[in-house]
Amino acid sequence: MQAIVIDDSRATRAILTRILEDLDYEVVQAGDGRKALEVLETTPEVELALVDWNMPVMNGLEFVRRARADERYEALTIVMVMTEGDVEHMVAALDAGADEYAMKPFTAQVIREKLELLAVGS
Amino acid sequence: MQLAEVELDRITGDIFAAILGLTLDGHRASDTFPPDERVVTGVVQITGDFEGAVSVQLGEHLALRAAQLMFALEADELTDEEVTDTVGELANMTGGNIKSALAGSSALSLPSVTAGRDYRVSLPGTVIKDRIGLDCDGDLVVVALMQRDVTL
Repeated sequence: MQAIVIDDSRATRAILTRILEDLDYEVVQAGDGRKALEVLETTPEVELALVDWNMPVMNGLEFVRRARADERYEALTIVMVMTEGDVEHMVAALDAGADEYAMKPFTAQVIREKLELLAVGS
Repeated sequence: MQLAEVELDRITGDIFAAILGLTLDGHRASDTFPPDERVVTGVVQITGDFEGAVSVQLGEHLALRAAQLMFALEADELTDEEVTDTVGELANMTGGNIKSALAGSSALSLPSVTAGRDYRVSLPGTVIKDRIGLDCDGDLVVVALMQRDVTL
């Protein structure tokens, strides 16, 4: 199973990567939405994306919109991992096509539960 | 704006516990770092219905410890960039959670980080609405919420 972690913070990418590797994912990383789309072009087998909202160059919401507009990524499961905990942001994320969201700060347990809920990788 | 409802200590404590596995043990008598201590400061700005900023300050010792935990590296393996990234992300999470606790619709900037000795964080046109010093195993963590001064 392959996953991509998209976050401008290297520290958060490191934490999320460890969590996913513990779940037997092979993980690639990107520091913004545009870079993530470039990575997906060359790594189409990625089936899970954990995406930050607030990033330079291309934010997470725009990444979700573009990924959902591309039929090649129809099966990609997208979880937004964001600091914005207000209803407005949650609704916007889901409306754009995210499958689920998790709030920062997160724990490994929360991420695992979100993925179990989505039955990703099963 | 319901500033009184924003609990800086609870929000910061939740972030340190979840992300770093560290416990913040309540307020310190002083929220000022010694002038000879190198301090790393992360700042995020909030714009919209609330206009202001949030700063998170860690002494170098705690900043290194936080980076070790986030990157799962030893202290001597860390780069300055990784320490900067760590404090920036802690400020980002703190600012984001504070923003969510405020009424209205606002946006969060990307974090900026600075480090040095004996300096003051000042955002022109803002006043400090709340500032707390918390203890983390003997290290000081200072969190401040600044709001645009509408009287200016």
